[in-house]
Amino acid sequence: MNEVLRHAVDWIWLVPLWPLLAALVIGLRMLLGRTHGDAAEPATSRLVSAAALAALLGLLLVDLAVLRYGWPGHRAVWDWFGSDAWQGRLSFLLDALSLPVATTFALIGWLVARFSASYLHREPGFHRFFLVLALFLGGIQWVVLGGNALIVFVGWELCGVASFLLIAHAWQRPTASGNALFAFIANRAGDAGLLFSLGLCALWVGSFEWPQLFASHLPLVDLRVLLLGFVVAGLVKSAQLPFSPWIGRALEGPTPSSAIFYGAVLIHAGVYLMLRLQPLLGQLPDVAAGLVLIGALTAGYAWLCGLVQSDVKSSLIFATLFQVALMFVAIGLGWTTLATVHLCLHAGWRTWQFLLAPSWLTLTRARPAPPPSWLASRQWLYTAALQRFWLDRLGDILIGQPTRAIAGDLRALEAGFIDPAIGQPGRGAAVDEQRPLVRADGLPGRLLARLSGFLQRIENRLLLHGRGGSGERMLREAGHWLRTLEALLEEPRYLMMAVMATFVVIL
Amino acid sequence: MHVDRAPDFRQRLADWLSHLEHLLPAQAPIRDFVHHNTLHGLQHLPFAEALRAAQAATGARTYWDEANFRAAHAAGRISRDDLLAALAEAGPPDGDIAGADGLRRREVWLASLLSAPAAYGDPDFAALPRLTAAGDWRQQANARWQALCEAPGYCASWRRLLQHLSGEDVLAGVHTALKRHLAAHLDLGLAVWRNPARAGGFYAAWKASAGLDLAWELDELPGIHADIRQLPDDPLLALEQSLRALLPDENRWLAWLTALALELPGWAGMMRWRERHPASGDVPVALVDYLAVRAFLEHGLCREATRRLTGAPLDFAEFLDYYRACPGEFLVRHALAVGGLDEATGAAVAGLCAAAAGREASGWDALAPQVLASLQAAEAQHDAQYLAGLLDTLAQLGRPLSPDVRLAGELRQTAAALDAGRRGEIWLLAYEAHYREQILSALASNLKRHAGRPATRLPPSAQVVFCMDDREEGTRRHLEEIAPTVETFGAAGFFGIAMRWRGIDDATATALCPVVVTPQHQIDERPCDAARWQVHAGRRERRLRWRERLYQQTRHAPLAGPLLTALAGAPALAALTAGSLAPAWLARASARWRRLYEGEVPAEPQVCATAPAVDGIQHGFSDIEQVDRVEAFLRTIGLTDGFAPLVLMLGHGSHSRNNPHASAYECGACSGRHGGPNARVFAWLANRPAVRAGLRARGIAIPDGTRFIAAGHDTCDDTVDWYDLPDLPAPWQAAVDQLVGQLGEACRAHAVERCRRLASAPLRPGPWQARRHVAGRAADPAQARPELGHATNAAAFIGRRALSRGLFLDRRVFLISYDPLPDDDGRIVESILLAAGPVGAGIALEYYFSTVDNERFGCGSKVTHNLTGLFGVMDGADSDLRTGLPWQMVEIHEPMRLLVVVEQAPALLSAIVARQPALQELVGNAWIQLAAVDPVSGEIFRHCPRRGWLPWLGAQALPRVARSADWFAGERGALAPALLLGGER
Repeated sequence: MNEVLRHAVDWIWLVPLWPLLAALVIGLRMLLGRTHGDAAEPATSRLVSAAALAALLGLLLVDLAVLRYGWPGHRAVWDWFGSDAWQGRLSFLLDALSLPVATTFALIGWLVARFSASYLHREPGFHRFFLVLALFLGGIQWVVLGGNALIVFVGWELCGVASFLLIAHAWQRPTASGNALFAFIANRAGDAGLLFSLGLCALWVGSFEWPQLFASHLPLVDLRVLLLGFVVAGLVKSAQLPFSPWIGRALEGPTPSSAIFYGAVLIHAGVYLMLRLQPLLGQLPDVAAGLVLIGALTAGYAWLCGLVQSDVKSSLIFATLFQVALMFVAIGLGWTTLATVHLCLHAGWRTWQFLLAPSWLTLTRARPAPPPSWLASRQWLYTAALQRFWLDRLGDILIGQPTRAIAGDLRALEAGFIDPAIGQPGRGAAVDEQRPLVRADGLPGRLLARLSGFLQRIENRLLLHGRGGSGERMLREAGHWLRTLEALLEEPRYLMMAVMATFVVIL
Repeated sequence: MHVDRAPDFRQRLADWLSHLEHLLPAQAPIRDFVHHNTLHGLQHLPFAEALRAAQAATGARTYWDEANFRAAHAAGRISRDDLLAALAEAGPPDGDIAGADGLRRREVWLASLLSAPAAYGDPDFAALPRLTAAGDWRQQANARWQALCEAPGYCASWRRLLQHLSGEDVLAGVHTALKRHLAAHLDLGLAVWRNPARAGGFYAAWKASAGLDLAWELDELPGIHADIRQLPDDPLLALEQSLRALLPDENRWLAWLTALALELPGWAGMMRWRERHPASGDVPVALVDYLAVRAFLEHGLCREATRRLTGAPLDFAEFLDYYRACPGEFLVRHALAVGGLDEATGAAVAGLCAAAAGREASGWDALAPQVLASLQAAEAQHDAQYLAGLLDTLAQLGRPLSPDVRLAGELRQTAAALDAGRRGEIWLLAYEAHYREQILSALASNLKRHAGRPATRLPPSAQVVFCMDDREEGTRRHLEEIAPTVETFGAAGFFGIAMRWRGIDDATATALCPVVVTPQHQIDERPCDAARWQVHAGRRERRLRWRERLYQQTRHAPLAGPLLTALAGAPALAALTAGSLAPAWLARASARWRRLYEGEVPAEPQVCATAPAVDGIQHGFSDIEQVDRVEAFLRTIGLTDGFAPLVLMLGHGSHSRNNPHASAYECGACSGRHGGPNARVFAWLANRPAVRAGLRARGIAIPDGTRFIAAGHDTCDDTVDWYDLPDLPAPWQAAVDQLVGQLGEACRAHAVERCRRLASAPLRPGPWQARRHVAGRAADPAQARPELGHATNAAAFIGRRALSRGLFLDRRVFLISYDPLPDDDGRIVESILLAAGPVGAGIALEYYFSTVDNERFGCGSKVTHNLTGLFGVMDGADSDLRTGLPWQMVEIHEPMRLLVVVEQAPALLSAIVARQPALQELVGNAWIQLAAVDPVSGEIFRHCPRRGWLPWLGAQALPRVARSADWFAGERGALAPALLLGGER
């Protein structure tokens, strides 16, 4: 037993890997067409439950080892890639923050996997759901246990994709897919922040490892810029202002996914990231004060919105957001232990509440007490709270629509330029009316056709008569494309992008 | 001007709203879910006609998807003869097809039913004129535009037309806010903070909020603020104003209002229900409020949308003219919505429409001919494919053909003579006929078997009165197999005791009787030991208050919330773990702990009236009323002599965790509640010496050796809860012990039978294993199918148990006991039909419609349901209010109309149906199928709404097995009836 305990920590990398392996196997089964009918369901659900249980047991073993041998701290398992200045490493940071949170999340993951097995029985996306759930369970453990920012980023992305796929679980419903898209786009802002910070880590610190980052003694100005990316990522994932709207629109998935993603686990990922960065936050009181402010504002926002909600899931999501915002306040004030304990207990209670949301009729008996009278009669505030302070509409206008417009432009670019340029099979047209046998489409095809035409023309010219007008035509075409490009650049969004790009270069 | 018209408009609007009501779901708040015919409002029409009307108005599918019927045909559940018979009954007139070698039209229809429907593409567009390659595209486009504007679903909805042309839903931006306002106004106890202006009704509340809403600015509708401020305070005037602006032609207002209301049928239906039941909430609710808002938005938003589409805001009439004048633009936009274009044309169409968004575009007319050709080619290709499939099927039916162009056209036309509605009707008739043959054959065989037996029989050891519920058929059958000396009866599960019941732990009284009955009596349960009850009530109240605090304050209290969360976090995870690993154990253990803490208090129902009625409610029954009720019930079920020493009244209910639709699983005869208290009250009444004396005076002599006892059966976990056993006098102790054992064994055997339809249950479980499985299901919050409810219900027998005893009926039949012999004038069967007919038909038809179109008539899958305002469920956080049954309840249901078989002379039944309008509607309009078994001769008749009673002559041989278990072991699907040789008395 002692031997097992002593070496338990060396196997910690299996914890996030089990669920990912399960996801891989389910994916293979789906690809091989082994997922039809009732008989295929138990294999899938048991696989995910078993992987989640294995992760949980692994963590419990490590926890036991901690009781005996103390905190393991930073452990590097494997070098992924490296250059002389910095390295991508598979490393874990096992301390008083990561292990309790990871164990709580693993327990919740296992419970939700078991819950979903019968809840989603015969649901059209049964196997897809479990695949995504397993991806998420793996991803969140990378985030929590990861010993460097790169690993955390990988986990972060896995969680983001899983969340998007589960909001769109009923993708046939336009509301569900629209909301999933909104959440996806909003979350990209956080990813951008994370990437930004990663880049600065590589540039200024020369390492992604947390301990090296904490001990880097960067100038405070640099540190502030570096931290900012992480903070934005954390604010987005935990749906703090001004990124709150996406969480209210994320309730389209099956009840268990609402529970684990937005009630219990994923929404705490941002809090966790802030807790992880506490050593840096401690050096920057202004950033910490910013967290307090944002947390307090979000708490007020969530409380007001929560009061007017008339469906269980929305009501619970704002209640969750309220307490998550309090955690940000606590972190800003430096009360990290309180925030960690609050995080774990809050996750536990919200799992229960969300999973039992359909029972609300029998769990409660009376209408809750009305709000204080100074509030109850404020018509404008009521309207604002009911409309969630118009943030989702604003977010859509500021982020969603420009993104969709860029996507539209890209499609137009593809249809108008890339497709004709590359050419499509079977669409060849005669390059020259007089020579219908030479057919080509796309740039390569036309180039070849031109080449042959050119050679022939040389031949003709040498042998027969004067010059053709191809040079003129080519100039005209180039002029046309330049005009199009100019028109595009005049569009405000590209102007903005150009300005932003300039800023990035200057920074 | 408005002033003198207002009363007139008010009157017309009232008429319109009551017309509209027919098409809206009439579902009560979900706590009181009671089964009813989804199309109850159309019940005055014949079945097929009503379904056609509902299809036209709502766009919902009203018959099962043909693919399901074809699968049933492939599985032998519908035969070719069934289809031919159905075609003869409901198809168009038969005839020869010229030049096709004596081919009958009916053969073509048969082949077309077996291959695929002839309609092309979206059924919405089936009625549009077909395109031809030859004609002028402008004319054809104009004809299509005209037809589209008159098509059902489009003719009354500017929004649909706009959506068709632009692909953009004008409501998309405001729907969410509208639903939030609706939910907030209707809320019954979820929201903490409610609209300050709610007291004036929905319209006033919306107006107060919408006037301050900044969303209009964000949606680029800034002008609408002024319009909202100028709206009149009276919703009626506002509605009239908006309608007049929308459409000057008043004759079409009703159609427009209908279309507006049916956009969100769930919400509109709930508005109407609450309007009809004002006492159920604390705010005024009226459907007209919602319609006024909706009509106002329709006008504002659609005008704005026409501006985006055409460059200038148009009125509805101008909008119609615009596209009449621009056939090219119409055709291109229409083609984008219809689809089916070839790739190049599709890309060109999509490109042009995208380029035209928000700016001037040309090139419509240049593209139109190409679009027309492409659409036409797609239709022609579909025709060719369809014809090939039809010929293939005809060849399989033994009629190989190689038709020329004329014959091909005629074949297509013949097949198209069966439209979608008629096809569904014919499939349904064939499907019903097949099952009906099986059921009637089973009855005939059983009658023949009983006919040969001696009339003397052993005295029964006990008599058990069950609910008529189809789920109890299994329990009864197993009980009779296990204890052949037990006699069983079936009756509506409120046992003739219509009452409001208030148990010692209940805060208020609830009605336990069919939903159409308003009870005049209230029965209260009184604790036998006041001191102990004080303690119990105090502790119970404390526990509930803490629970309330925990759930509500962690939701909204800024200070107490985090503290309570911290307290509850760890126990919640522990409870989830325990509940996940051993749900049944956790449920038992927590019930035990609760009892330990609160203590148990024996209590008695106060059945006797002591004071006069107050507010029309009398507490307890007077002696006369008691005798009346017991006598009426005993005569109804035909139990007037030959009493056994024990008569058990067995009420039923169903409890499950985490299930907003819980009351849909409970006893339908008790308004979606547990029928146990009714059974208990009945037993109390029937045991009273005064009642016995009264009964004796009326000719029902219950011997002193007979004791009535009561129990409640939980159809979800198959347990039985026995009432008042500690007070049982000694002489009956042994008999009760024996019955408890027998019923327990029967329930376990029944659990085994239920397991066969549950995918996660073992296929061949032992009795105890099966019991554990169903107990786990009931206690498991993760279980979306705690039980399967009434799924597969298909028939109802009204007659003596001898008719059906010894038949395996697969839990598909409502069994109602009735003795036809003493009932010369048919008074008893009349009251049974009146009470049980609508209940059974309501259940069967709700299951029918929720199955055939689970998206529109049902409420979809439970997994994304979100309880809203304590009155309904939405999908996610932003959808229509979902009514009807969830998919998990109906997935194995076989949608067909209830076959009611009555053991009584057909002539007598005809007279009853003729004098009862409710039955006239159900039977005459074919919402149920009726058959009769002559109680004397045993002949069987089938009722046809057009031709009256038809003698039934078929007789298939039935499989014979020793016990039920031999027939169902290892089978997962629906099973045909079988004769059971064991368990006969």
